[in-house]
Amino acid sequence: MLQPRTSVLIIDDEAPLRKALRTSLVASGFSVEEARTGEEAVDAVRQRRFELVLLDINMPGMSGFEACQQIRAASPQTGIVMVTVKDFEEDKIRALEAGADDYVSKPFRLGELTARLRAVLRRTQPQEGTERVRAGDLEIHFTNRILWRNGEQIHLSPKEFDLLAYMMKHIGAPLPHAKLLHAIWGPEYGGELEYLRTYIRGLRKKIEKDPAEPQYILTEPWLGYRFTNPADPDTPAASPAGE
Amino acid sequence: MEVPRLSRRLWRSAQYALIGSAATGLSTLLCFRAQAGLTLVAPVYLLLVVLQSLTGDFLAAGLVSVLATACLDYFFVPPLFTFRVLQLADAFSLLTFLITALVITHLVSRLRAEVSFSRIQKDRLDRLYQLSQVLLSLEPEASEEQLMEPFRHLFGVRAIAIFDGQTGEMGMTGTSSQMLAERTKEAYIFGRDAYEKTTGVGIRCVERGGKPSGAIGFEGLADPKETIGPLMTLTNAYLERMKAFHTASSASAAAQAELYRSAILDALAHEFKTPLATILTAAGGIREAGPLGPEQMEMAELVESEAERLGNLASRLLRVARLNQEEIHPKLAPHQVWTLVRHLTEEYGRQSPDRRIIASQDGESREDRVDAELFRLALSQLLDNACKYSPEGAPIHVVLKHEPDSFVVEVSNTGKSIPAPEQRLIFDRFYRGTVTKGHTTGSGIGLYVARKIAASHGGTLNLVVAEDHPDRIAFRLKIPSSIPNPNHAPATN
Repeated sequence: MLQPRTSVLIIDDEAPLRKALRTSLVASGFSVEEARTGEEAVDAVRQRRFELVLLDINMPGMSGFEACQQIRAASPQTGIVMVTVKDFEEDKIRALEAGADDYVSKPFRLGELTARLRAVLRRTQPQEGTERVRAGDLEIHFTNRILWRNGEQIHLSPKEFDLLAYMMKHIGAPLPHAKLLHAIWGPEYGGELEYLRTYIRGLRKKIEKDPAEPQYILTEPWLGYRFTNPADPDTPAASPAGE
Repeated sequence: MEVPRLSRRLWRSAQYALIGSAATGLSTLLCFRAQAGLTLVAPVYLLLVVLQSLTGDFLAAGLVSVLATACLDYFFVPPLFTFRVLQLADAFSLLTFLITALVITHLVSRLRAEVSFSRIQKDRLDRLYQLSQVLLSLEPEASEEQLMEPFRHLFGVRAIAIFDGQTGEMGMTGTSSQMLAERTKEAYIFGRDAYEKTTGVGIRCVERGGKPSGAIGFEGLADPKETIGPLMTLTNAYLERMKAFHTASSASAAAQAELYRSAILDALAHEFKTPLATILTAAGGIREAGPLGPEQMEMAELVESEAERLGNLASRLLRVARLNQEEIHPKLAPHQVWTLVRHLTEEYGRQSPDRRIIASQDGESREDRVDAELFRLALSQLLDNACKYSPEGAPIHVVLKHEPDSFVVEVSNTGKSIPAPEQRLIFDRFYRGTVTKGHTTGSGIGLYVARKIAASHGGTLNLVVAEDHPDRIAFRLKIPSSIPNPNHAPATN
């Protein structure tokens, strides 16, 4: 559970939504501050540190993307979740490129929002013992390059291991196709989605109980993938479009 | 009338001939008194003939030429006061004089006639030019009277009839006393042009692309045969211009309407989402802030689930509105289509508990290349339709069939049959069936977008209606399958 001191800055120009968010997030254990514009938010972040920022994309004056860049520059450790209205991939990709850690699309359930906030908080907090990561039945050892499933070692090709290791290091985070291709294949890659899909398919066959309905490697439609821990109550719902 | 015109011409010739004859007589008298010789008198007569010819009346000039020759012979060629000629040289001189006079008469008359014809032509061209200017400056909304006015003013036209052979429509402007409309239609039917100088009626068949397309008739023309050609061309050009203008106007209006409609849909979908997010967050907050009784908890959950459903509908509306406008580029990836179908039908089953949605697949499940989001959107549209237009409790069947090079999803339900003429229209943008219009909500773009999605995958979406079961409506979505060889991936380390 979160400590009451976990501070969230809500930035939205819609007063009713700010009020609903404040009441609901306070009830869920967060301490909440509000800002009506991007400019106010940047000032607030410069004055004090927030663990999390919930930032609307569409605002009068400074846009959400610009505010995100300035907040990220002012406070690199703050977890930023952007609120999109247009649930199209362009806005999501732009949000991630601007420095956001994750996004939620309006309208969202409170449960989904708090799960995203907690997941981002975990990722942005300094972690210890990152040599091994567990997620559900899986356990990965990065240095020894070994993957276990229910204690049984799973054989992965070097590229499969690199891909899975990268995703498990960013557990819960949305990972655009281009980012994965850059990280695993190199900076000259970015548009070769078939490569990625082939390896994701291979990985799912090895780690998922039912590759048609994946629990670990979820598809973010038109964006990329998200590695989740099915045992984590904050894990986002599985996408029906398993790729 | 033809006869009085001829009489007028004869009378005018007679008048010119009389004046010419009088001048010839006077010249004869003067020359005879002066006892002038043949060599002096002949040029005098020739001068008279030339002057007479300048009137442009060949008949009068011809008569004066003959009279002058006769006078020359009678009064000046021996033996005098007889028409006899003794000397061969005199006969030759007289003959030469007569031929010369007649040739001069003919040439001068022809020249005069050509000048006159040129003047008429120039005048006609001037009037045609003026007419074309007026027609070009006419507004597209010009009344029939405004169209008629330049024809009346410049060419004396009393009525214009335009028959469109393709639509069978007859347009009539002005007042006809010669049954112009009927005669124009007849001219088109028999493919025969008609000209009538006495009544000034001229009718000409119009061709487009080498085929007869109609006929245009004028009444009141001075020279129907000569004038109707350019008049018809100008009228036709004007009508084509109007048609093009109206076509462009309706296309522009349709484009504007579509833009407006999409903008409204887009705005609605966006504007919905913030209040819905507020409702969802507030409902979640109520549950978190608790403690709530079981009934209150249930109500809060109901608010959440319904608000979420509204949000999903708004999202879909937004997506459909965008896909309606944009070219679709599917992002193909391998998917278990059966999983997609099953998830979606389960979702609809939960949303519409009063409908029985039965999903099944024919054959082994396999991966096919498809854009999952677009596929879900297209299938959602078919399921929406089936839920909307089937009676409560009636089954809705969703069957997935795997074929060697494609997969087919058939969504069928029973409901009101779609009239045959409407069956080919239901995929048209903004078309709403007569059976559903006013009774069931819809934007009229769902099936259009669903078919667009199918086409973007290289597939098809068709309506299948069995003749023996017109109330069973089935939509057949067929998408080709092509799974690439996994060996095409880059080499592993």
